[in-house]
Amino acid sequence: MHERLSFFVRRDSPIHSLNPMTKVVLAFSLVLIAFSSPWYWTPLTIFLLVIVPLTLIGKVAREYWNFFFKVILPTVLVLFIMQALFLPGESKIIFDIFGLEITELSARLAFRNATRIAVMVSSFTILLLTTHPSELMSDLTRRGLPGQFAYVIISSLQIIPQMQAKAQTIISAQRSRGLDTQSSFLRRAGSLIPLVGPLVFGSLVEVEERAIAIEARGFTSPKTKTSLHEIPDTSTDKRIRWLLAAFVLISLALRLWPS
Amino acid sequence: MRETAMQGQKSSSWLNIGKDFNTMTWVLMPVAIAINMAVGQIVATLRLPVYLDSIGTVLVGVICGPWAGALTGALANTILGLTINPDFLPWWPVAAIIGLVSGICANYGLFKSWWKVVVSGFIIALAAAMSSVPISLLVYGGITTGGTGLITAFLVESGKGMVQAVFASSFLVEPVDKITTAMLAFAIIQGLSKRFIARFPRAENVETDEKVSQTQLIIAVVVVILLILFAIFLLQRLTGG
Repeated sequence: MHERLSFFVRRDSPIHSLNPMTKVVLAFSLVLIAFSSPWYWTPLTIFLLVIVPLTLIGKVAREYWNFFFKVILPTVLVLFIMQALFLPGESKIIFDIFGLEITELSARLAFRNATRIAVMVSSFTILLLTTHPSELMSDLTRRGLPGQFAYVIISSLQIIPQMQAKAQTIISAQRSRGLDTQSSFLRRAGSLIPLVGPLVFGSLVEVEERAIAIEARGFTSPKTKTSLHEIPDTSTDKRIRWLLAAFVLISLALRLWPS
Repeated sequence: MRETAMQGQKSSSWLNIGKDFNTMTWVLMPVAIAINMAVGQIVATLRLPVYLDSIGTVLVGVICGPWAGALTGALANTILGLTINPDFLPWWPVAAIIGLVSGICANYGLFKSWWKVVVSGFIIALAAAMSSVPISLLVYGGITTGGTGLITAFLVESGKGMVQAVFASSFLVEPVDKITTAMLAFAIIQGLSKRFIARFPRAENVETDEKVSQTQLIIAVVVVILLILFAIFLLQRLTGG
C-alpha cells in the first residue's frame, strides 16, 4: 500500500498540542493580515517574526526549510522576477536589462505580492506539518462540519498517491508496448487516450464498491457519531483564537480607514 | 441506492440540491479529485500545451449536478494546493465555477452529443476566464506564474492596460483547455456502462437517444475551430478598442 499524502511529522511540541482549530485560525489570520495590510513590509515581517519562530517552537524547522527551498522559494522567485519586470509603474528606473526595466514602484509591488504568497503557503505548511489530517477532520466534524466533507478530504489524501502510482504504472506499461510519448506534438496528443482511459475507467470501477462499503458502515445515518479519540480544546486555545481574531480586525480596520 | 428509483421524476431545476448528494456522489468526489491530479500529471509528462486538470470536476458536475461539481472543484484546488502545488490554492473559486457551470450546461441538455459538448466547453471556458480575472488581479497583481502570466506580461509590455491584458490572456488560454476537457469528460461518460451511470443522481443528463457517431465528432471539431476563430475575433475587439 502507498502512504497517505500528508506532511504531518509527529513531534512533541507546544504547537502540536494546540487544538487543530486554533492552528486553522492561526493560518487564516496570518494570510488575511498579510493580504490586507497596507504596508509593503508586513508580509516579510510576519514571515520573520511569526513563521520562522513558529517552525522552531513546533520543532519542524528542518522539514519546513526543506519544503521552503524545494517549492516555496522557486515559486516566489519566479513570481517576483516576472512581476518586477512586467508590472506597470511610472517611477524611477532602478534596473535595466535588454530594454526590460524594473522601476522602483514595480519592484515594491512585486516584493509585496511575492512575500504575500510566501506567507500564505508557509502558514498552511506549518498547519499541515503540525496537525494530523484525521485529527483536524475529526475536530472540524465535532464543530459541525458534515461528515461527508471529512470523508472527501481524508479519502482524497489516500487516493491521490495511489492514483499517482497508477498513472506512472500505466505510462510505463504503454511505453513498453511501444506507445509514443516523446516525439511530435500530434503523436503525443494521440497518446493521451491510451493513457487517460485505463486510469480513469480503472478508478471509476472502484466507486461503486466503496459506496456499498461505506453505506454498510452507516455513512448516511443521521444519528450523531461518537469519536473514540477526544481532542482537547483548552482555554488557552480559546484565548489565542480571540487574540488572532482581534489582530485580523485591527489589520482590516487599518486597511479600510487610512489616516 | 434508493435515489436511483426516483429518477422517473426528472427535476430540471438546478437549485434542487438535496437529491444530488447521494452516497455515490460523495464517493465519486475524492476519485474525481485524484483524476484531476493524475490526468494533469499525464498531460505534463506528454508536454501538451493544455492543463486538463478539471476533467474530474466536469465529470462530477455532469452526472451529479452543478452543486456537487462546484464542491468538487473547490475541494480539489484546496487539497491539491495544500499538498502538491501551492499555485492551485488561490484558484479554488474558479474550479468551483467550472464544476457549477458544467453541471448547469448538463442540466440544460448540453452534454448529449459532441457538438453540444463543444458548446458547453466554450461556456465553461468563458465562465472560468471571467472568474479568474479578479483572482489574478487581487492575489498576484495581474501577473501569475506560468504560461498565462507570460501572455499577460507580453500584452502589458505592448501597451495594454493591466486589466485588459489579464482578460485577454485568460480568454486566449481557457477555451482550448476547457473544450478539450469537456470532450474528454464526455468520452469517459460514453465509455461507462449505462448501469453504472444510472446510479448517479443526474444520470438523465447524459442519456443519449441514438449512438454517438463519428460524423458528429467531425462536426464537433469543425465547431471547435470556428469557436476559436470567434474567440480570436472577440479578443481583437476587446484589446484593440
